[in-house]
Amino acid sequence: MKNRQIPKGLRDLLPDEVKVKREIEKKATKLFRSYGYEEVITPAFEFLEIIETGTGEKIREELFLFMDREGGILALRPEMTVSIARLAATHLQNADFPQRLFYVANVFRYVQPHVAQYREFWQVGVELLGASGVWADAEVITIAVKALRDIGLDDFKISLNQIGIFNSLLEESRMRDDEKKLIRTLVERKDLVELSRCLENLDIDDGLKEAIARLPVLHGGLEVLDQIPYLEKNKGASKAADELVKLHDALKICNVADNIVVDMGVLRGLDYYTGVVFEGYSPGLGYGLLGGGRYDNLLEQFGFPCPATGFALGVDRLSLVLGHEEEEPVPYLIGGENFRLIIKKAEELRKQGYIVQLDVEGHSKEVLEEKIKASKRKYRLIYIEERE
Amino acid sequence: MQRDYLTIALCKGTLLMPTLDLLTRAGLPTCGIESDSRNMVFTYDQARITYLMCRPTDVPTYVEQGAADLGIVGKDVIEEQGKDVFEMVDLKYGYCRLVVAVPLELRDVSVKDLNYKRVATKFPVIAERFFRSQGLQVEIIKLHGNIELAPLMGLSDMIVDLVSTGRTLKENNLIEAVKIMDSTSRLICNRVSYRTKHKQILPLIEVVQKIVRGDVVNEN
Repeated sequence: MKNRQIPKGLRDLLPDEVKVKREIEKKATKLFRSYGYEEVITPAFEFLEIIETGTGEKIREELFLFMDREGGILALRPEMTVSIARLAATHLQNADFPQRLFYVANVFRYVQPHVAQYREFWQVGVELLGASGVWADAEVITIAVKALRDIGLDDFKISLNQIGIFNSLLEESRMRDDEKKLIRTLVERKDLVELSRCLENLDIDDGLKEAIARLPVLHGGLEVLDQIPYLEKNKGASKAADELVKLHDALKICNVADNIVVDMGVLRGLDYYTGVVFEGYSPGLGYGLLGGGRYDNLLEQFGFPCPATGFALGVDRLSLVLGHEEEEPVPYLIGGENFRLIIKKAEELRKQGYIVQLDVEGHSKEVLEEKIKASKRKYRLIYIEERE
Repeated sequence: MQRDYLTIALCKGTLLMPTLDLLTRAGLPTCGIESDSRNMVFTYDQARITYLMCRPTDVPTYVEQGAADLGIVGKDVIEEQGKDVFEMVDLKYGYCRLVVAVPLELRDVSVKDLNYKRVATKFPVIAERFFRSQGLQVEIIKLHGNIELAPLMGLSDMIVDLVSTGRTLKENNLIEAVKIMDSTSRLICNRVSYRTKHKQILPLIEVVQKIVRGDVVNEN
């Protein structure tokens, strides 16, 4: 027997799984279109240089890399935002702004696979290019909330942060770059034990220390902003906090504030985020469902300075939380001895919108009845007795 | 996992007693766990708490995948597995250290002499990372228990293992050469539960932090 394994972390999707996936994509893209977003498609792989320019070198160990015949190093895309930024810088510099783009795409990461984490997975997402300010952020976050609602999730939260708060505090601390990097990693990993140990040994202002130690666990309504020591003393951080308050007000007007929590621990792993960031969670799954934020400096890396914000939704993870399928119409199964009459009847029914399968094997009525009885699916049998 | 219950993964063995003591002091129910060693799940409806009893090495897995919201397990296990969980509190008990130990006759070797040697261990990831950080290449032999046996039987030249008093090493004619890391028990948390069950989890973490720091806690 020939080998029939597939590479680790990949999977086949069977009809029932594809139905759930397509349903999610259909509902999400319908919503995106209703906000004026238009679909783009980018290549499944890019030059490594492009990916690294955008996401930082950290991503490298998660990339599938290969070479072209001219010696260029290629990478399967690990996410879509960098590709869209490159696309915009290449093709859209003279377009009308803001540009509203969306995508449905498979992305690839060389990670340890487990449930809800595959090496090829699907994302749907939007990017709003050329608009800064909280109204733009509010639009994108509102779409994220509505997408989860439309798809049928009732119990979920979007965790919201402005990474300017953390970054400004860290900047002011006058730590060395390697210390900053370590602190950032520990906060991202929520390793509070090592974080507090690390902070203890640093020679920085005590108020600042406490603020950095507290940030990762601050979670709740806007009142958590009042619990950050040192905040008002730092210009950048208090400006970022003000922005978060304004954004929260805007989200109230958009009628999605019920699903929003402020969470100072959300920093997102990728290097390109510059402002508001957010992640979506459901109690039904131990992993995040969506993530996004503002990335005002990314397009500049490709020679096109332009503010931007967006998010991506993990279709595979969402399928896991949903699981249930919608009621499907029962298909017809048409059998008989006269092929012409079978086809005629089938076409009639299809014209009326029904799903029709033919018995292409020419079974007798009794056999067909038996087969339907034995099948897991339901059919409505039409057997044409006439012979013309 | 019931949605409004807090599920905590605990491990059996020597860590269980101090863990139950801590949970009791934090105001959580623990009655019956100690005496009933065969049961794997304990549910307390009034407090809305479920405990899972599992092997220490399984605790991070339960927590990472969200089958448990919280877990209590040693830092050595967390470090070895590198699972994506939040490490919330150092509980200070269950102290041990992970060391490189060599047979007595090699007591005077320097770390450099260990290049290209064979290491038996339950902690292949930490061991590999440690030796690589020292610029050494070693052959790692993964075992599941009684690591001290490996050098005795000529299976390996040295071991990387947990030591608390050092007695086991001595009994097997081994001696600690280098300490790799200290380990104590940690309270870990699933990254989504932390957000979706924040109202239940945060107060618990705060009270545990207080207990660990030695602050007086109202035990009612």
